[in-house]
Amino acid sequence: MSCEDELTVRVDNVSFSYGTKRNPCGRTLKDITISARKGQLIGIVGPNGCGKTTFMRCINKVLKPQEGAIYIDGKDLDRLRMMEVAKLCANIPADVPDDFHLSVEEFVSLGRYPYVTGIWWEGEKDVRLVREAMEAYHVTHLKDRKLAELSSGEKARVLLAKGAVQQPKILLADEPSAHLDLKFKLQVMQALKDLSRQGVTVITASHDINLIAKYADMVIIISDGGIISYGPPAEVITEEIIRAVYGVEVMLFKEKGEIFVIPLRPVDTGKGADADQRPCEKGIVAD
Amino acid sequence: MDGTKHDRAKFKLALILGLGSVSLVVLFILSLTTGVMDISFGEAMTGVWNLIRNGGVHQNTQELVLWQLRIPRALGVIAVGVGLSVAGAVMQALIRNPLVDPYITGVSSGAALGVTLAVLGGVTFVGMTAYMAPLMAFIGAITAFLLTMLLAEAAGGRSISYVLGGVIVGIALQSGTTLLMYYNTDRLHGVLFWLFGSFAYLDWDSVLLIVIGVAVLSAIMLIYAKELNVILLGDEQAKQLGMDVKRFKTFMFVLVSALTAVCVAFTGVIGFVGLIVPHLVRMVVGGDHRLLLPASMMLGANVLLVADIVCKTAVAPSELPIGAIISIIGAPFFGYLMVRMGKEYVM
Repeated sequence: MSCEDELTVRVDNVSFSYGTKRNPCGRTLKDITISARKGQLIGIVGPNGCGKTTFMRCINKVLKPQEGAIYIDGKDLDRLRMMEVAKLCANIPADVPDDFHLSVEEFVSLGRYPYVTGIWWEGEKDVRLVREAMEAYHVTHLKDRKLAELSSGEKARVLLAKGAVQQPKILLADEPSAHLDLKFKLQVMQALKDLSRQGVTVITASHDINLIAKYADMVIIISDGGIISYGPPAEVITEEIIRAVYGVEVMLFKEKGEIFVIPLRPVDTGKGADADQRPCEKGIVAD
Repeated sequence: MDGTKHDRAKFKLALILGLGSVSLVVLFILSLTTGVMDISFGEAMTGVWNLIRNGGVHQNTQELVLWQLRIPRALGVIAVGVGLSVAGAVMQALIRNPLVDPYITGVSSGAALGVTLAVLGGVTFVGMTAYMAPLMAFIGAITAFLLTMLLAEAAGGRSISYVLGGVIVGIALQSGTTLLMYYNTDRLHGVLFWLFGSFAYLDWDSVLLIVIGVAVLSAIMLIYAKELNVILLGDEQAKQLGMDVKRFKTFMFVLVSALTAVCVAFTGVIGFVGLIVPHLVRMVVGGDHRLLLPASMMLGANVLLVADIVCKTAVAPSELPIGAIISIIGAPFFGYLMVRMGKEYVM
């Protein structure tokens, strides 16, 4: 099967539960099966607490699913050491640590950690890659600035540079554009798209369906821990699915191959669209 | 010409270590001149030189005083300054909270209670009488740290949780010390210096233990400077970059507790050094632990040596307790940090 080698991520019947003695009602991923090809930009959408973040945490082995298996680049995640996972899979955190006077350059260099062989300093190759990544994401002029002094847009670019410097096969970005204004949202998504065109499989979760529809090659719709739909944006983003998943009435129109979703009103059902569906999640994992 | 980051970093490091060493040597000699007996700067220098040449054999009273009292004391001060600063910097990274140090997290109080138990409470293990104080300090330090961590984690693990947890544990353990003192008023002098922190009672045996302990433990922490940088990203990110976070943190917590214990076992509780020094250093060299740790060592040694000289000279011929002096400087500084950074931190 020739197309098998092109698969970077294969998720087989994965189920996950946060359930512990302390939090017996933790939310669950239910029997997720999915695969992604090299160089695809995959968007995950779904309501709060549906399992988007949990799913991504399983892929970089921060969480270990109770059932099922995940293969990255043909390798069983379960058998890889974290150091090896780190070379395959990078993730873009929601924010930078800004209490410690780390400079932009120092922060981006941390992405090279899995590769550094010396005890103290990074090698020449690491230094070069860091320099190139800072150039690619236009943060070279900021390299000596402290992270705390950066604007949101600059932080987003710095985070991307750190992700790129890790040279991953898969890049996970959880809400990479959450606090950004329109222009930066587009820039970040475009940067992720560019990365995917360079052969990195990018998996990103977002609440902005329009952004996902615009940039993603494939869209996963998750609701209540299970996959509702998986396919190209034009196929899976429909008024019916959004109503079912989000409980919101939307108007959807297409122009020049692009999909635009305009939310109209919450659907009046007993479900209660504004209820927080994840009362148990708080305090389980320290971010 | 813009050098690479490493060249600049190495240059900065060399500069800090160079200047720091020079001032440290000067302060060292200066500290040898202070005390009841008059010894001039020149005499102190020749005295040290003679002692080094003769392998510690003193030829006159001046050299005797230097060898028996002032040199071990100065060395002890330097080692404790290094140790507390490194312990503070590492603790701040591990807890990801720049507002903690061995004092705030209650570790020092735990060590103090341990020592008080050994000295006043008569707690002892067979055949361990000589090293009972440092051993009990270590046990106390680890216990206090564990309690603080447990409390803080249970309360949600936010920045403020660690500070509050440390305050609670610290107060509880201090009351233990107080009670022990209350019921042993006749033997108080043996442990009173503990409450104030003092270098006045250092002898060569304890100094050697402090110096070796601090040197070994700080060296291990220096080796892990890179990992300490990664840990700043948070547990999940660090894990995701390939680190075995749990093991590393446990390992480091034990080292930090041991380091704190070694520092306070003989000299008593000296607060705020571990908080102030890494803070000041971060403002100058930034947060990279490969610069932060060595620079903190240098500054910590210098700061504590200055403080000790002040303690010895301010009200000569009597002496001020260094712990109190440091706290007088430290408390307003901590207040300043709280006001300035409280707005930035999620408290």
